[in-house]
Amino acid sequence: MARIWPTKLDRDRLRRRFVALLLDWMSWGYVAYGVMYFLNDYWWRIPLERFYTTLTLPPWGWPAAVLGTLAMAVICQVSGYSLGERALKLEIREERPLTKEELLMGRAAGKPFWKTQWGVMAVFLLALTVALGWHIVKIDPEALIHPSPRAREMLSEIFPPDFRHFRVPDPAFELRGLPYSILDLMVLTIFMALLATVLGAAVALPLSFLGARNIMGFSPAGWLVYGIVRGFFNIFRSIETMLWAVVFALWIRWGSPLAGIMALTIHTIAALGKLYSEQVEGIDPGPVEAVVAAGGNRIEVVRYAVLPQVIPSFWAFTLYRWDINVRMSTVIALVGGGGIGDMLFYYKNEGKWALLGAVVITIVAVVWAMDYLSGRLRERIT
Amino acid sequence: MAEPYLVVEHLTKVYERGHVVALKDVSFEVQKGEFLVIIGLSGSGKSTLLRCINRLIEPTKGRIFIDGVEITKLSPRQMRKFRRKIGMIFQHFNLIKRATVMTNVLTGRLGYNPTWMTLLGIFPRSDRELALKNLERVGLLEKAYVRADELSGGQQQRVGIARALMQEPELLLADEPVSALDPATSHSVMQYIEQMNREDGVTVLASLHFLSLARRYGTRIIALKDGELVFDGAPEEIDDRKFKEIYGEEAEEVEIR
Amino acid sequence: MLSGYPEAYLKERPRWMSLDAVADFFYFGFRNLRKYLSIVLLDMGAIGILWLLMNYVIIRLSTGRIGYALVPWWVFGLGVVEAAALWESFGRSFGHRVARVELRRTDGGEPTATQRILHWLLWHVSVLPIFPLLFIPSPHERVSGLELRPFTMEGRTPKPWWRTSTGIYVAWLTGVALLAAISVTVSWEDLVRLFTKAGTTAKFWRSFFSPDTSIILKTIRDLIVTVFMAMTATSFAVLVAVPLSFLAARNLMRGVVGRLIYTVIRGMMSIIRSIEPVVWAIFFLVWVRVDLTPFAGVLALFVHSVSDLTKLYAERLESIDPGLIEAIAATGANRLQILRYAVIPQIVNPYISFTLYRWDINIRMATVVGVVGGGGIGQALFFYLTGNLWRQAGTVMLFIIALVWAIDYLSARLRAKLA
Repeated sequence: MARIWPTKLDRDRLRRRFVALLLDWMSWGYVAYGVMYFLNDYWWRIPLERFYTTLTLPPWGWPAAVLGTLAMAVICQVSGYSLGERALKLEIREERPLTKEELLMGRAAGKPFWKTQWGVMAVFLLALTVALGWHIVKIDPEALIHPSPRAREMLSEIFPPDFRHFRVPDPAFELRGLPYSILDLMVLTIFMALLATVLGAAVALPLSFLGARNIMGFSPAGWLVYGIVRGFFNIFRSIETMLWAVVFALWIRWGSPLAGIMALTIHTIAALGKLYSEQVEGIDPGPVEAVVAAGGNRIEVVRYAVLPQVIPSFWAFTLYRWDINVRMSTVIALVGGGGIGDMLFYYKNEGKWALLGAVVITIVAVVWAMDYLSGRLRERIT
Repeated sequence: MAEPYLVVEHLTKVYERGHVVALKDVSFEVQKGEFLVIIGLSGSGKSTLLRCINRLIEPTKGRIFIDGVEITKLSPRQMRKFRRKIGMIFQHFNLIKRATVMTNVLTGRLGYNPTWMTLLGIFPRSDRELALKNLERVGLLEKAYVRADELSGGQQQRVGIARALMQEPELLLADEPVSALDPATSHSVMQYIEQMNREDGVTVLASLHFLSLARRYGTRIIALKDGELVFDGAPEEIDDRKFKEIYGEEAEEVEIR
Repeated sequence: MLSGYPEAYLKERPRWMSLDAVADFFYFGFRNLRKYLSIVLLDMGAIGILWLLMNYVIIRLSTGRIGYALVPWWVFGLGVVEAAALWESFGRSFGHRVARVELRRTDGGEPTATQRILHWLLWHVSVLPIFPLLFIPSPHERVSGLELRPFTMEGRTPKPWWRTSTGIYVAWLTGVALLAAISVTVSWEDLVRLFTKAGTTAKFWRSFFSPDTSIILKTIRDLIVTVFMAMTATSFAVLVAVPLSFLAARNLMRGVVGRLIYTVIRGMMSIIRSIEPVVWAIFFLVWVRVDLTPFAGVLALFVHSVSDLTKLYAERLESIDPGLIEAIAATGANRLQILRYAVIPQIVNPYISFTLYRWDINIRMATVVGVVGGGGIGQALFFYLTGNLWRQAGTVMLFIIALVWAIDYLSARLRAKLA
């Protein structure tokens, strides 16, 4: 019987062919972008600002660019110069026994990649990327070797750092009417991280079981809860803590430690929740079977078969997260999150480099110690 | 009797300020072409003994002669050269997992080729021919360009044997070559080693877990217990009493076929 | 009687007054000293932290300031030392728990009250001046007839946690730490605003559904700059971190000089890593000329990436399989050949995977670095935020989220392929 619909295998090939074409199309779009960029800068001498805002394309340019890159992609696929084919393993190889010579010299293992057709493309794209990168980020070794006059001033003042306000509050630096010392704010910062971690872990713990495939089962309701929880984790994790801090600083007050705590907490919930639930999914199913066989319900399974297996790694993840939260909380003041960052940016803006040096050294010491401690503890736990 | 091929004299190896003793005053001789099997419990010093012989581990005291050369006196550079004559295969095969079988086998020639060539992955044509010949010998010619980690355990150990063959060795050290394999595969691997011993005249020192394997393949057996040599003789000489002495009172002999 | 020495040593001790005996006295003595000191320091730390946390709570609630000193420092010091001595003599202290030991009679029985008091009194003679700890057993244990033995539950029933001193301590510590953290960081007004002023962010969320289309091209340009910042920083960091990682791997750096290089590099890297990229960006923004903003951001990311990648790479190097090295060495290969055939094949894929991971992080970091003026999309975001241009700020954030998500997905997919 003749087949009308493509078989599963064919559909898979078709899908891969499509994705490969898309990849090639995108890479040619990238090439076109790069070429336009350099033409603008070196040939037409159009200011980069204008290039970016208008892309300096004539009205017919857009369809031309889209179709042109598509045409290039198709040509690539036909001629074999295709990265997409290679990435999706669509290469067609001749099926024949190896000759003696091939067997001996290893031709069967393939040419070195820069001699293959896709390799040529890859090298070309790489070179373009390096050139573009060099230009876009304005790399300037000269500037690195010869510091600006302001930098010389900074260097001359920053050594030795001035620890006079380590314990004694600095009257010039006030937050809501009260002067603070470095130590005060450092403690405040550590407390911020602590609260965020505890809150985050407390919320993430129950949620993580709802986001674990093997706990939720395969009923429609299970799928739904699983999907919602995992979606929540993924969305909230991809939003940086700093962005959350902005939101909460607007909400509560610019410079409020609570804003920083809330921002850190939300990110902690999402990050820890994902790690936790992955851990729950990776447990040994043996004990679960044993508890089910003994007549345990789902809660009992979690309590007696799942929890004992995951608790050590839960602790390890939480400690790791605390470490991260301490780092983040030292700079979250930049976006209104409060903590020692307030002092850091104050001294930087005032140009009090010696005092700034003391703040930075304190931060380094604390973060380093936290890193070391949490590392040691994690080693012990796992 | 002819001049022995390998002489081990008063070999001692201690770790950690003299308070962990791995080998205690071990002495024995091996004739050329012998298949010597070393038996003993885990931790009795079998691996340390084998590694002292090609000085992957530096002995603390004692002397080792191979073919009349006192290898315990060689400089690291000279020792590297000397190691080319000593093939070694391992319990866990120790292959480059991500590389092809061919590359793995060719590493057996590293000591014979200039460094700059091997760093670029270039081996002479003659070496490649030898590699194919040796792969054919262990029955893996078809797999020459397959990644090593795609092979089964027995096949991987055969690649290890081919790698040792590449060195054209006079002496083969086999550190529990079949412990990680199932019984059926064990025999096939052991037979390749036996073949090396019979046909190429390679002297073999193999440590084995099972006494039955040792009896089947060894021409002579030595036994280690807590780093001391407790038995040296023909396979038939190990009776029940000896067995209990080597393996402890609670041990029970298992047959492996 | 002579516990604390390995059994093999007690069987074959060196001759009395020989050079070996002197060397062994110090070797085992220092091991003994370290054992006791680690327990004492842990106990003192545990008690000290609890006291300080309680002070934070008291001072904050009574005066509204952040402070820790209720008593003079020497009272604090003496109190902590004495409390530790008491805890270690009359119970199973926190330090004992961590070291998994307990105080027992040398014959294994439960200590009597007299022995405990003797242990406590002599503790001051033996542990405080440190040196007597070199003797095994140390004077306070020799006289009181007690010793620290490995703790075992064999033949005993467990006590509930609230009946053990460490259990009570940890419960107290948790409560006091949370109380201190809350009282120091959270003020009442802030809390009220958190629950009543959610509406202030509405204008912000609204822009998520009606983005400002006029700035889209400009935002895309900033995105491209950000991606390139991350890419450039990562690639340069790889070039530096790969060779450094070999010098920072403990198993490859043997000997005195090797250990020194290892320690110096690891130490420097962990210091550099402790400084957030934002702070590095501040530094480099001062260092290079003002018009080179993306470059300063790249330098900041670069420095941080080098230290992070070096650590990740070196840890991978430390966990490579030594068997393969043995195998290649056994063929008569030299050091370079061992590197090429035994080390590199084991690390290539993990290195690429770490690099991708770092690139992913660098994209996030690049947005943050931009906020201090490091260029890219973060700078645009900060510009809109400070200008109260909420709608534009929301639009930019939408783009950032999309970018981070895409890169996260991409790098995770690629890494899954490599593993």
